[in-house]
Amino acid sequence: MQGQSVHFDFEERLLDNGLRLVLEQDRSAPVVAVHLMYHVGSKYERPGRTGFAHLFEHLLFQGSGHVPKGEHFRYIQNVGGTLNGSTWFDRTNYFEVVPSSELALALWLESDRMGFFEEGITQEKLDNQRGVVKNERRQSYENRPYGLAFETLLGLAYPEGHPYRHPTIGYMEDLDAASLEDVHDFFRSYYAPNNAVLVMVGDLDPEEALAEADRWFGEFPAREVPAPPEVERIGGERGERRGTIEDAVQVPRVYMLYHAPSFNDPAFEASDVLTSLLAEGKSSSLHRELVYERRIAAEVEAFTWPLEDVGMLLVVATARPGVAAPELEEAVDDVLDDVRTSGVTEDEVEGARNRARRSLVGQVNSAGDRADAVAHAAVLRDDPDYVNRAFDRYRAVERRDVLEVADATLRPERRAVLHVVPREAS
Amino acid sequence: MSRPAPDRSSPPPSAELRPVELPELEAFRLDGGLRVLVGEDRQLPELSLRLVVEGGASADPAGQEGVAELTGRLLTEGAAGRGAQAVAAWLDRLGASFSVSAGYDVTILSLHLLSDVLDGGLDFLRAVVREPTFAEAEVDRVRQERLDEIDRDRDKPEVAADHTLIRAVLGDHRYGTPSAGLRESVEGLGRERVASFHSGRYGPRGAALVACGDVDPGALVEAVEERFGSWEGGQGPVAPPEPARPAGPGPRVLLVDRPESAQAELRLGTVGAAYGDEDFFDLLVGNAILGGLFNSRINMNLREDKGWTYGARTSFHFRRVAGPFVGRTAVETAAAADALAEFVRELEGMVEEPPTDEEMTLARNSLVLSLPRQFETVSQVTRKITTQVVYGLPQDYWDRYRERIEGVTRDGVVRAMGRFLDPEALRLVVVGRAGELEGPLAERFERVAVVEPPGQRRA
Repeated sequence: MQGQSVHFDFEERLLDNGLRLVLEQDRSAPVVAVHLMYHVGSKYERPGRTGFAHLFEHLLFQGSGHVPKGEHFRYIQNVGGTLNGSTWFDRTNYFEVVPSSELALALWLESDRMGFFEEGITQEKLDNQRGVVKNERRQSYENRPYGLAFETLLGLAYPEGHPYRHPTIGYMEDLDAASLEDVHDFFRSYYAPNNAVLVMVGDLDPEEALAEADRWFGEFPAREVPAPPEVERIGGERGERRGTIEDAVQVPRVYMLYHAPSFNDPAFEASDVLTSLLAEGKSSSLHRELVYERRIAAEVEAFTWPLEDVGMLLVVATARPGVAAPELEEAVDDVLDDVRTSGVTEDEVEGARNRARRSLVGQVNSAGDRADAVAHAAVLRDDPDYVNRAFDRYRAVERRDVLEVADATLRPERRAVLHVVPREAS
Repeated sequence: MSRPAPDRSSPPPSAELRPVELPELEAFRLDGGLRVLVGEDRQLPELSLRLVVEGGASADPAGQEGVAELTGRLLTEGAAGRGAQAVAAWLDRLGASFSVSAGYDVTILSLHLLSDVLDGGLDFLRAVVREPTFAEAEVDRVRQERLDEIDRDRDKPEVAADHTLIRAVLGDHRYGTPSAGLRESVEGLGRERVASFHSGRYGPRGAALVACGDVDPGALVEAVEERFGSWEGGQGPVAPPEPARPAGPGPRVLLVDRPESAQAELRLGTVGAAYGDEDFFDLLVGNAILGGLFNSRINMNLREDKGWTYGARTSFHFRRVAGPFVGRTAVETAAAADALAEFVRELEGMVEEPPTDEEMTLARNSLVLSLPRQFETVSQVTRKITTQVVYGLPQDYWDRYRERIEGVTRDGVVRAMGRFLDPEALRLVVVGRAGELEGPLAERFERVAVVEPPGQRRA
């Protein structure tokens, strides 16, 4: 049963202008995914311009030299495709999944905004999308219970000026401050062919797809890209940071952010397995102890996020009615201490490994998802083939690896803790 | 590799469109009556299985709304002689993911696993479906978890908006109350009611197991036969009554006060159509034009023109009988009354300003040409087949889908949308800072009432 493996044949090429290509042929459905990932995200933003990388992503859907406003979506939906973009700390991506007969259409659209974005942008479009993004912030953060917890937690975990200290959505006043000049500067700095990876997965002929990519993107010259920000690694020397905020909620929630292995760290997979056995599934340590046995938590979650320069291991526990945040925190700590000091069985590790492998298959079973995984591996790890190797790396995680990463990471001095508590009636 | 610069002035021509090959299904019926539908897809070592059980929220006895949901949650809280934690450890060790969704029409149990643990997965499925324990202590605990969840939902403006809308549109019909029930009925659900729902509804009659993935269909059926061959019982489909349409005069605005809101949640709705409605395909096309796509009228208006919202959309909730038609958006408070008026205007516009050729083409293409990417993964395939099973769609439904959509005309869209989107039968909901919202709303709409969302009484 342990023999089942998964392998995809990825081909890598580099265009003369530095645009990196990764291709994979998969004839199983007449579909092709085009995924363009730029190596820029919110950690590249300068002070006073938080949220800019994401606002900029919105502007890339507002038309370019040969594509009027609104038409990018229309062209793709008119051929039955789907499309979107997203922004995160380390990267910004744009993707289309279309019938394979429309590969050239997707490349035409993506290349037009890489090469001719500045011809289409106006103050009016900036103001319109600023309004959209401010409403996105209201809808997804300010008007959502616990919606401001994560940005508050980041503010505790990282020192002033640290590139990972602010949220991708940004702050309202910084969104207001963004100018057309900022837009042009940002585009010229980061949206260069040599700062991107273009992934094409699906029903394609690799040589033809390569020629098409070169036809649409080859003419854009490479540009000098600013050096990435210096990112200070945070460890135990920072000491535990704590905070409390009030929110319009019924029950308290405890957030913990541990400084953990980054995506590039050899211990990343062990850390991911650790968070899986902490909180994935009803037999996981935190769920079993806090939700089932002691019944003091309504929900528990834990994640290890795949970030480029820092590692974030998050633990989030929601209290049951009548349980106060300090009591909940203590209960979480008891479980984490127990896990750290060897409270992990071989069975639990095997279960977490099995879940990880099933989940990995689920992350690569469509052309669009696979292109996304490859782009992340290429941009954040400089290694597209990690998508294949991940299966073996997770399979190789042993109990002692999990204990080692737990022992190194789950220490109070390596974390920030936030309590979100119900607002006192005024 | 350098070549002459391409012509960028217009989109490049399409290459030849390859036909979609929908997976071949093999259909079986076990001795006990369970239907088994299997598709083979060996590309990856994974399988998706879905068991459709005839017993969704529509089968909840009156006063026991939420029992289908609670039963679904309790299947894994002890089964076949194992306690709740042992069942959880069993599943987690397999590495499989398992979820139970008690919708209005049916309950669907979904299992996703790697093919090397298929036998273990089927043992698990057999145990939780056929031999759940429903120990009193576990029932009491899970009911309390559900009640806690209902309390926490009070924090979510979108939940208040949804619940207020369906109650306003569908009233006492089962579709007018959340499928998982509200506090007043959930409080009364105990071991006996759960066990009785399970013994009455969980059985092979009307049920189907749909599977797709890395397996030989014959071998899978044998493995299923071993575990479900002697399964008995069930009552077949539930036929809920046809909901009445809201009476005029409309539209009526229901305003829910939430002083801490950073934004206003807006909803509008009325009674929509059943899955089998004669206008089904016209409504799919019409809804895509009105609010189903990014380039729909409502999103282009409220988001891309006005910048008032992150997004606005509409949908028909097609069910065995007519579910609601719902429009949703969230906007900045100052724009709420204008946005709601625009939303109503766009609904009326579907009749007054019939779709253009360009809109018709976009809507039809987006529905038809998206089929290939909706059948890519084994989970997508089982979901599509499950839909066929639940709504009794013919076997060639997806093969004929294209011609049905392409046969939709502009007149058909106008007639169908006009048939359902009658402003007199519209109900509008706003959740936000009532103090700032009430005045502007009253200027725009004749009938505005401040209300409490249903089922928000505290414990």
